[in-house]
Amino acid sequence: MNALWQIVTLILRGQSKALLRGFALSVTVLTMGAALLGLSGWFITAASVAGLAGTGALFNVFVPSSMVRFLAMGRTAARYGERVLTHDATLRALSDLRVSLLRGLLAQPWRALERLRANAVLNRVTADVDALGGVLLRLVLPGAAGVLVVTGAGVVLAWLVHPWVGLWVAGMWLLCPTLIFVLGQRLARKPARRQEAALQAARSRMVDMVAAREDLAVYGQLSTAQRRVDDAFWREATARRALDAVERRMGFGLDMIGTLVVGGALAIGATLAEAGTLSAAQVALGALAALALGEAVAPVRRALAEVGRMTQAARRVAPSLTTVRAEPSAVAPKGVLMLDAVTSGRFAPVTVRVAPGETVALTGPSGRGKSTLLYMAAGVLLPAEGRVSLGGQAPDEEAIWRQSVVMVPQRHALIAGTVRDNLAMAGPSTDEAMLAALDSVALYDVIAAKGGLDARLGFRGTGLSGGEARRLVLARALLAQPRVLLLDEPTEGLDRETARRVMAGLRAALPDAAFLIAAHRAEDISQADCVIGLQGRAATGLKF
Amino acid sequence: MAGAERVTQRQQDTNRAGLIGAALSLAAALIWPFQAWLVAALLGRLLSGEAALVWPTVAGFVALGLVRSALEAGSHAALARHADTVLATLRTEVVGGERRTLDTSSIGGPGALSALVSEKAEALRPYLMRYRPARLRATVVPLVILVLAFWNAWAVGVVLLLSGPLIPLFMALVGWAAKDASARQMDEIGSLGDLLVDRLAALADLRLIGAGKAVTDDFAEASERLRGKTMAVLRVAFLSSTVLELFAALGVAMVAVWTGFSLLEQVHWGGDVTPTTGIWLLLLAPEFFQPLRDLASAWHDKAAADAVQEELQNWRGQERAAMPGHGQGGVAITGVLALNNISLHRGDRQIHLPDLEIRPGTRIALTGPSGAGKTTLLRLLAGLERPETGELTLDGQPLADRLDDWRAGLGWMPQAPHFLARSLRYNVGFGASLGGEVAQAALGPVVQGLPKGDLTPLGERGAGLSGGEARRVTLARALHGAPQVLLADEPTADLDDDTAEAVTRGLLSHKGTLIVATHDLRLAAQMDRVIDLGDTQ
Repeated sequence: MNALWQIVTLILRGQSKALLRGFALSVTVLTMGAALLGLSGWFITAASVAGLAGTGALFNVFVPSSMVRFLAMGRTAARYGERVLTHDATLRALSDLRVSLLRGLLAQPWRALERLRANAVLNRVTADVDALGGVLLRLVLPGAAGVLVVTGAGVVLAWLVHPWVGLWVAGMWLLCPTLIFVLGQRLARKPARRQEAALQAARSRMVDMVAAREDLAVYGQLSTAQRRVDDAFWREATARRALDAVERRMGFGLDMIGTLVVGGALAIGATLAEAGTLSAAQVALGALAALALGEAVAPVRRALAEVGRMTQAARRVAPSLTTVRAEPSAVAPKGVLMLDAVTSGRFAPVTVRVAPGETVALTGPSGRGKSTLLYMAAGVLLPAEGRVSLGGQAPDEEAIWRQSVVMVPQRHALIAGTVRDNLAMAGPSTDEAMLAALDSVALYDVIAAKGGLDARLGFRGTGLSGGEARRLVLARALLAQPRVLLLDEPTEGLDRETARRVMAGLRAALPDAAFLIAAHRAEDISQADCVIGLQGRAATGLKF
Repeated sequence: MAGAERVTQRQQDTNRAGLIGAALSLAAALIWPFQAWLVAALLGRLLSGEAALVWPTVAGFVALGLVRSALEAGSHAALARHADTVLATLRTEVVGGERRTLDTSSIGGPGALSALVSEKAEALRPYLMRYRPARLRATVVPLVILVLAFWNAWAVGVVLLLSGPLIPLFMALVGWAAKDASARQMDEIGSLGDLLVDRLAALADLRLIGAGKAVTDDFAEASERLRGKTMAVLRVAFLSSTVLELFAALGVAMVAVWTGFSLLEQVHWGGDVTPTTGIWLLLLAPEFFQPLRDLASAWHDKAAADAVQEELQNWRGQERAAMPGHGQGGVAITGVLALNNISLHRGDRQIHLPDLEIRPGTRIALTGPSGAGKTTLLRLLAGLERPETGELTLDGQPLADRLDDWRAGLGWMPQAPHFLARSLRYNVGFGASLGGEVAQAALGPVVQGLPKGDLTPLGERGAGLSGGEARRVTLARALHGAPQVLLADEPTADLDDDTAEAVTRGLLSHKGTLIVATHDLRLAAQMDRVIDLGDTQ
């Protein structure tokens, strides 16, 4: 619940104005609904009294009847406004939440961020955020509006009808649904968690079965895989049944409370009327208002069904939202890049020194730590031993380090949008600078043929071949104008001639930058001033 | 046919549960007129000064409320059971269907199929639990109340009738607008979700070029734009449902006002109401509109369910080849393999395979340019392809007849394996403990480097393993259980020299038949026989 509360406060802070207006309208809708039914009941009963007494002509019919019409129209209008405003606020909140999630994740440790590439994790994060979108609309707003309206109605009924009636109606409608919510929420916690876990398992097992179908068939494991999917769904259904049962029992409780509140209001009122304390019209007003207030309590049911899911989502999302926003306090480092006897523990310590304008290549079999060294130089992985520095400055603050050191990893991180959008990720630049960068990586003609900087790319940069995507991310790195450029297999997927042109283009575009390259292709290595082979447990340095 | 009958029987049971659930919810809704009558009668007696009978009346009201709540709960239980069975049947159908086919589905990859059986299938639940009972209530309850109204005061009946018939009209309008709106809205919201996924996936790498702020700013802008568009759609959608509510509210208000005037004897037409019937009609009027409002609010459940049903129909309508064999293991057999005049299509390409005889224990390298049929031949031997002409036999009998037993003695090393989201140990041994294959595949150092050793879970694409490490895991899996025949597709492609050598050593340590498709001349040179498939084309 703490995590959920954290999310609620975050949303409340961001959207307080829109929410306040939505809240005011929610209260109006509920109040008018209760007033409409209560007034109508009073009007008919009072009219009967006057009719029976033969004083109908003296009865002022116009005020109550126009009030009834006003409430009917006003309620409808307020309802429309409420729906528009609260949905708008929810969408704003969702948008805020997504943006803070992105910001928060950027400040997370690198490894945590890397895991996000798996589809399963991604889907989960987005589903969680979507689930949290309902926090306001189904939990906070109806809850707050319900409490206020029920309390207000209690006061009004105590004044217009009788204190006992007001106390009964407001007390019961406040206390019982709250108890049911707290109890139901607790009872649903465990099955909700089980259900969610089982559904996740089913999902990932289904992915496994379909993706590895052929291998599983050859190894005679297909039936096992199918059974495992079915098992997970079976567990999901079992947990779901438990959840349904909780929901049903709580629903039954809420229904019965409604009956008891109305019955009680009627009994108290009628008894007082028999004693002559109240008029029949007042009894009608009390009973019908009690009935109409059921609308204020109705959202408890929906909230109960969803609060479990929201709590879990909040628990997963909230930690990523805590951001430590530090303004850069030091100047961007420059000078010689030093990796001083660094190791992750999985390979022998390596010392690398790259001066401005120099190119150093790291070679060696896969799994020997080439990429790890680059990530350490990029300041996102901490070496287990040794020290990384640039001009004597350590990568303590990533924001400052990033002003000088930029890395292009093996994968091509492109996003949906135009080529310009993708290039602009490196920071604001002019079209001329962008085109020049494309030219440096021998991509100018390709992009021009596709429609220039406005050419659109699909999700994850679809629409470009592997080699084209590769060169586009290299061009983007150039636009960041780094003092140190870290490249992981930069020309993978390029033919020999293009690879050579790209490497030459990179150097020409950044003549004074230090290049540290993880490579196994001759094209990557040919321009290096120094090649360091990571071989087995010890690194050997060769000076050319 | 017994199986089919059982399915039909089960379907009937399921449908019955759905009908019972809807009927119970209808019965619950029909109790309200009785409760309302008790309330109205009590107030009427208070007005006329008769003995009020307060406690018996309230007791009756509460008792009826109990019955109504119980009926609601019963309805919920039956509907939940119905929905459970429908979903379970559907999931079994899709999971089983996917398990039995060889071709990939046209509706999407593993992710799309997994979404279809999990969260998308869940969209059917609200439809089954809310929409269908709401539809039944909407057809019966208003009629019943209309009859009661005409019976007591025709003016009230006319008021309801006037706003009533307009409602189906508006329902159609609302439904039409809502379907359109929700489809568009879903598209918008869906694309915002996709946009987030897109950014999240790239986030780790974008951070390395210092693009963090650019990403968030860009996303915030896109998000704001989409919010504007979505709200424009929602405003229209809400407007149409507001019209419905307005009619309902005015209907109730007019009933109240007419009844009041009639009781004051200001109007003398429309029927004769007593205080009791007047209050009763007032209490019934909102219930005339309530089922229609329920139906309107359940409308998008139907739209969502329709979309899922459509996708399921597409899935069912696909023509897909069945997966050969049962895929559940057998007793390992081996023998002389013979290929005789085999040809088949791969896309538009016609592939003829040479006639071959492969005796147990032979080591064969399949070479030739890409597209010559190396992988196809390996897949044929693993039973993952069916020849279009010719025959593939094992000791003279068609291999297809004994496929499961044949596969039980097979080690299979595909080029791009998908690792299961389970431990490395399970991925190698499928539940059996590991043995010599760990050393044979030089997997030891890999296992040592993993945080939890061989119990480290592997994710999508073997998360955490480099290309060479993943290849060694695949080799260990192929060697596990000392198979009689090992089929390996490009086992050394894209590997550095050291790893390639380790993999080659591992392959050669295998004692039985070994068939590798390879471009690697060093590997091919160590085989007994090299078959160049390019020659036969």
